[in-house]
Amino acid sequence: MTFLAPALLFALPLAALPVIIHLIHLYRRRQVKWAAMMFLQMAQRMNKGLSRLRQILILAFRVLAVAAILFVITRPMAGGLLGLTGGVPDTVIVLLDRSASMEQQNLATGTSKRAAGIAKLAQALRDTVGVRSKLVLIENGHLQPQLLEKPESLIDLPLTGPTDTTADVPALLQGALDYITTNQTGRTDVWVLSDLRQSDWDAGSGRWQALRSAFATLKGLRLHLLSYAQPAAQNLAVSVQRVVRNETAGKAELLLDLRVTRDASSHEPMELPLRFVINDVSSTIKVEMKDSQLVLQGHAIPIDKTTKRGAGRVELPADASPADNVYHFVFDEPAVLQSVIVSDDEAEAGPLQAALEAAADPTRKYAATVLSPARAAEIAWDDVALIVWHAALPKADDLIGKQLMNHLSAGRSILFLPTESANSEAFGGQHWGAWSSESKPASVEWWRNDAGLLANTRSGTALPVGDVEVSRRCEILGEGTPLARLTGNLPLLMRADIPGDGNAWFLGTLPGSGSSSLARDGVVMFAMLHRALNEGARSLGRAQQREAGTAALGSGDLSVWKRQGQTVLSSEQPLRAGVVEKGDKLVALNRPLREDHPETLGKAALAELFAGLDYHVIEDQVENDASLASEIWRTFLFVMALALLGEALLCMPAKRDPQPSPAR
Amino acid sequence: MALPLNARHAMLGGVSGKHRSPVRGSSLEFAQYRKYVPGDDTRRLDWRTWGRSDRFYIKEFEADTNLRLCLLMDTSGSMNYGPADSTRFDYARKLAGTLGYIAAQQGDAVGLWSLAEKSVEIPAKRGASHLGLVLDQMAGIQPVGGTTLLTALHDAAEKIRQRALVVIFSDLFVPPAELKSAIQHLRFRKHDVAVFHLLDQQELDFDFDRPARFIDMEGGEAILADPSLIARNYREAVRQYLHEMDELVRTTGMDYQRVKLHEKYDDVLAKFLLARVEKKGGR
Repeated sequence: MTFLAPALLFALPLAALPVIIHLIHLYRRRQVKWAAMMFLQMAQRMNKGLSRLRQILILAFRVLAVAAILFVITRPMAGGLLGLTGGVPDTVIVLLDRSASMEQQNLATGTSKRAAGIAKLAQALRDTVGVRSKLVLIENGHLQPQLLEKPESLIDLPLTGPTDTTADVPALLQGALDYITTNQTGRTDVWVLSDLRQSDWDAGSGRWQALRSAFATLKGLRLHLLSYAQPAAQNLAVSVQRVVRNETAGKAELLLDLRVTRDASSHEPMELPLRFVINDVSSTIKVEMKDSQLVLQGHAIPIDKTTKRGAGRVELPADASPADNVYHFVFDEPAVLQSVIVSDDEAEAGPLQAALEAAADPTRKYAATVLSPARAAEIAWDDVALIVWHAALPKADDLIGKQLMNHLSAGRSILFLPTESANSEAFGGQHWGAWSSESKPASVEWWRNDAGLLANTRSGTALPVGDVEVSRRCEILGEGTPLARLTGNLPLLMRADIPGDGNAWFLGTLPGSGSSSLARDGVVMFAMLHRALNEGARSLGRAQQREAGTAALGSGDLSVWKRQGQTVLSSEQPLRAGVVEKGDKLVALNRPLREDHPETLGKAALAELFAGLDYHVIEDQVENDASLASEIWRTFLFVMALALLGEALLCMPAKRDPQPSPAR
Repeated sequence: MALPLNARHAMLGGVSGKHRSPVRGSSLEFAQYRKYVPGDDTRRLDWRTWGRSDRFYIKEFEADTNLRLCLLMDTSGSMNYGPADSTRFDYARKLAGTLGYIAAQQGDAVGLWSLAEKSVEIPAKRGASHLGLVLDQMAGIQPVGGTTLLTALHDAAEKIRQRALVVIFSDLFVPPAELKSAIQHLRFRKHDVAVFHLLDQQELDFDFDRPARFIDMEGGEAILADPSLIARNYREAVRQYLHEMDELVRTTGMDYQRVKLHEKYDDVLAKFLLARVEKKGGR
């Protein structure tokens, strides 16, 4: 509790006035000379306990009433359950979740969770802390501590505006921890403003253990979590998986694969208008949604034949969560899906090249080149989507090693195949072990079929991975995500944990007949290679779809990117959905689709994450207008009234003795 | 007709008087027969009885004697309580003085004992001049100090050797159980004990309207009390005390008069004397 007029607290000793007056009266009472002291003493003895208690209660009520009046005039502010108690901290750090899901709105007022939370927090901090504490903002867009002059700045700053990103709450907390330890902030209040989305909090991450341990060592730290966890009712979300410009002799059209999802609890069929805007030309179609998901595959939208490239978006009718009602896309003449096989072994490279040159999508062009490791420097890095690296792993500080890492950072793909010669170098935390041969070919016992290279087809049919036979296997060592295992829990295909948009896989065998049946059977290898190629091709070409995020537009000068439609600050460009262009590059930025998952953390999960820390959760709702901290003089007036009432009741004269006085 | 002051029990007086004596005497009032023992005055033999029963019986008659009236006055500080113009002690003085006068008029002896540390002890004697002395002493007494009622009553019981009508004037602000032993001591010495229990209505009602500091008139502590809080318990304490006092009267057989200071003292005396006349008449 804090006070708007704290100086008046010096008047608090006045609360003792009733006691002083009582003592004065005690010595100023009229005196009566009395003979029958015997009866008086007996009556006193009979009445002693109750009378003393009553007298103490009366005095306590009077003191309470005076104290309440004094508190009223000091204009107390309290967060009550908000924990804004215990005085003013030295530093207040606000960790702001600006993810797309925080834009869920109160439909009546149009206020988002983010805006409501910021406004309330700013008001509460202004009323309670004011400028007496150092105020620091860390938001998920930039993860950089920003010193604020006053709490009201929270409302006006672009850094607290909306984004279409996802939040990394452990990273926010890590940012706060770094700031606290670097600046020795003293007594610190950390406020986390979030909607508790599981995708943002990443509760399974190993980072939490380290954060808990580090925060537990900090003295005077209090964590406050202002949560807006309520889901959006009847929310619809749209996303576009694929955009292809298709041109035939007579017409040109855009083929869209799009998906509309809604709250899993809604099953009523509904007619839904879908609005397409392509190069500022809009069209609307009506679709019927019968389940919780509607998928349109290859939905064709006619375009002018002369329109070779452009941008567009799909829009849903407005609902409580506007961030997922629009999905932007760009299109261009499709780039050639180029791949390079770096290998000396023609027997192995041949099937790979054949598979990569075969057209999985008849509308695209495919090209695959085989280069010996010595000629790896000739790779056209800008145009290649997939590199199949069947050569010794490069050293991390070699030029080729750095180039491969840059290739991954640019969102492209690499599939590593083992070589016959021993090689102890590691790439992305993984390296090759020894070869082993099986007399009886091993089969794939487990593979991941929900995502990754071996996932089921779009129709849900599983790939015949179980039919693959592996007679020679090279051990894959190091940390990674297994995608397939042979009998005996031996990893066959691993995905390396490499930061960035690109993907690197390690396959523990070769496609040739001497090692496995991959080349012979073909289907699994073809699917695997083309999926890796498509993953790498996402960032290929002049028109690209990207997830909004700090690194969405690279690390260069952001001001060179021009946004179509509304303008935003250059620093905010990569964080906001829309279409941006630089030179001949068109990039459609959209929210990460994991923002569409409405699952939130429960209290038990939060308790586990913050176990051992001084924290408390304030559950708020975007429809709730009540401020976090408010003047609570009414409460004190109420207390005063109660105290006076209690005093009056206790002071009421006792009921007249119904019995006549003795010996009358 | 003036009301006499009668004793309820036989008195052992030094001279002839109006009161019954335990000693058989020569009055006209027959008392009893008793067997002759050697040494008895043969003149008192009832020859008629001898003639009828062939046994010697002595015929005894009542002896009338005078009365010793001992006025025991409580002179503790609490006796000063009462309206400004008339305290409890003033009231007691009127009662005692009047009784002394009546007794003297009957030819009875009158004595005065003040029940205090510095006591006045005037043995009972007859005569108008002695009455004057008693009344003068009575007028000079100033109630003061703590109560020594119980001790003084025991002292008086020991010092008043002959049977007497002992009349006590007091507020009796002592525990009835302790008072009982003192009264029984007096009764053991064959005294006819009468008590004037002097109380004020305010002492019974405790009818105060606001808190006050009550100062003990006998020099004890002062008590701060809120009548609204303790009046009920006060009355309960008084009720209990008076009940115990009634029980004391019943068990000791003393002549007890509960007097409130607003009552007229002549009415109180008349009631007291009349009750004694009725007792005697019924003998």
